[in-house]
Amino acid sequence: MRTRTSGRTGAVLGAVAITTAFALSGCAAGGDTAKSDGTKGNVTMSFLTFETPNLTAKYWDDAIARASAKVPGVTIKKLVAPSADRVAYAKQLAASGQLPDIMIAVSPNGFAQAGQLAPWTDAELTEFIAPHSNPIGGKVYQLPYNTQPTPLVYYNKSDFAAAGITAPPKTYAELLDAGAKLKAKGINPFVVGGGGKDTWADMFPLIGAVATDTYKQTPDWLSQKAAGKTKFTDPAFTKAAAKVADLAKSGYIDTAGLSRAYTDVEQAFRDNKGAMYPMGSWFAASADAQKPGFDVGVFPWPSDDGSLVVPAYTGGGMSVSAKAPKVDLAKKWALAFMLDKTSLDNSVKTDGSIIALKNYTPPPGMGPVYTATAELYRQAVEQNAIVDAFSIETGDGSMPAGLPDKAAAGVADLITGRKNADQFASFLDQEWAKANR
Amino acid sequence: MSATLARPAGAGPSKAGPGPSKTGRGTRPPRGGRRVTKALHFLTFGAPGMIVYLLLVLVPIAMTVRAGFTNRNPANPPTHWVGLRNYRDLLHDPAFTGALRNTLIVTVIVTVAANVLGLFIAQLLDRSGWLYNALRSVFFTPVVLSSVVVSVMWQAILSDDGLLASALRGLGVEDPPGWLSDPDLALYSVAFIITWQVLGFCVVVYLAGLAAVSTELLEAAEMDGAGRLSRFRHVTWPMLAPAVTINTVMLLITGFKTYDQIQVITNGGPGSGTTSTIAFEVVQTTFTGNHIGYGSAMATLMLMIIAAISVVALRFLQRREVTQ
Repeated sequence: MRTRTSGRTGAVLGAVAITTAFALSGCAAGGDTAKSDGTKGNVTMSFLTFETPNLTAKYWDDAIARASAKVPGVTIKKLVAPSADRVAYAKQLAASGQLPDIMIAVSPNGFAQAGQLAPWTDAELTEFIAPHSNPIGGKVYQLPYNTQPTPLVYYNKSDFAAAGITAPPKTYAELLDAGAKLKAKGINPFVVGGGGKDTWADMFPLIGAVATDTYKQTPDWLSQKAAGKTKFTDPAFTKAAAKVADLAKSGYIDTAGLSRAYTDVEQAFRDNKGAMYPMGSWFAASADAQKPGFDVGVFPWPSDDGSLVVPAYTGGGMSVSAKAPKVDLAKKWALAFMLDKTSLDNSVKTDGSIIALKNYTPPPGMGPVYTATAELYRQAVEQNAIVDAFSIETGDGSMPAGLPDKAAAGVADLITGRKNADQFASFLDQEWAKANR
Repeated sequence: MSATLARPAGAGPSKAGPGPSKTGRGTRPPRGGRRVTKALHFLTFGAPGMIVYLLLVLVPIAMTVRAGFTNRNPANPPTHWVGLRNYRDLLHDPAFTGALRNTLIVTVIVTVAANVLGLFIAQLLDRSGWLYNALRSVFFTPVVLSSVVVSVMWQAILSDDGLLASALRGLGVEDPPGWLSDPDLALYSVAFIITWQVLGFCVVVYLAGLAAVSTELLEAAEMDGAGRLSRFRHVTWPMLAPAVTINTVMLLITGFKTYDQIQVITNGGPGSGTTSTIAFEVVQTTFTGNHIGYGSAMATLMLMIIAAISVVALRFLQRREVTQ
């Protein structure tokens, strides 16, 4: 008996010891792998990316390899957001204490205010054309490397010709006229997305209308809203919302788009399911790389008086976590990634980027849609016709976290007729108040 | 572990009966030794599980409940204790009440439809033979698939450019319904998809229940002149009560937790909250909107609702099992 009991106790103690050893060794291993890859002096840092039809896994892997070659001592662990909505994914990671050390094209709004990001210094921003874009509390948290006119209206030249439209519309009245002519020919005027996880893809007509009807007159309108000086229910905004509602009511926006995710909506335009495709300038690269079965043209969202207005966003670059293992090294790597000529050229070729860096020239031989897009942007800069892109702003005075998603949901209501412009505006005011509570 | 060792000190004779122990010596280990051994047994076999459950379930729940009484928002510090304010706000928040309504609709549809169809299909498959075995596997396949895979697949079928709409157009339907783009239809489409996925589980549970129905009772009822429907109503159905309990409670919980399908297929739309469920709203509020305090209150309320409904349903259905 004594022997059996002693043996059993010994086994139990052994099991406890083994369990404890496993638990402790597990902790130790986790701690090591989090920050080092085992090579002496090397630091492993996580880098959050996202993949789209334009920005493939290979694009990211090649760019990471080039940047890492320039900054020794850094091993990059690539994280890929499960959808194009990398901001929501970054927030989920941040909530569990796993904010990536380096992130690209993640709005710093919310992260910066919480002290989770390291600000960029003026010395680090010397290469950038607009170094102080989208400041938060006076500091820049995201490298402003790229400008994206959002949206421009890409159109099917064959459809326009078939409907007897001889030139792209310059005024809003001409746009309505074009819509009527296309519809009369049995051609759906606008392809707009917003299905699946990509509800944001329905926003582009509203961003265009807000640019021409609200921001053109009052460029800092959203900052004024943040300061409590304006409301969405003001006529300056409801006029823009009413235009979207009217386009849908007239049958110019196909509600089928509300079941199309981003890649599906691009495919729908390629498949000739509509003549006009309001989209960000990144579509230009896609249209050149894989030409649809028709020629693609581009024009800016028309204003009432025909004057040029182009909404655009400059930013989209790297942010670095304030808790990165070595913030300076992370910044050095991020800058190496952003300033790498090959990466920039690839970004232009694959994502239609308009690079906002001094002394940068795009690669030769760019396609006709990108060239037309870049020319439109150049004209807008020349005419001082650039305004912010509604809901895409990220700096002080931009929409509170979560509100762009609510706005996209509200736009779907405008398109389906569940809300009119006033109800939509009132909804946005309520959601803004909720978001700031 | 022997009965002798497991029995508390002074609790009377062991189940093995009075008299000498199995060792034949009529002695027991000393009291202190038994306690130590018992404690070590607990530490070895019980503690790891308890610790994991504590750390991964109970502690997060407690933290969530606590956060629900604060205004925690990492983008808007500092965090304050706000008492019941979050809960009061929830009751007047159309996003939450709409999500609750949607969740209830999905739960009711999934629970009723999966139960009815599951029982019907189980009756059809309650036969022997390779064909029926193969069909059972076919019906169970969706259960083992990831919800995301199922969602992507059904999105490809139900979207406006999808297989179903294309087929309908091919059959001459000019304007097929927007299963996912019509705000009045999308929620029911999602409920259908969830029902499709959980149906196999119900079928298997009902098949197990049917296997336990006494053939003697069925034959006796038949000899007494009971028809097919009558035999089902008075013999089969009462004996399926445990299967009904399992299916109903599982489906209620599945319905209330609906998230994956919404996230992938509709993202809560089309439009504002037309298919948003409580679980979806919790994630949106907490992670997208940064309102960790408010989202935690929502999650706590969701936990309480699921717990309450599950307990009530379980009590009701188990009482039915006893009375049957």
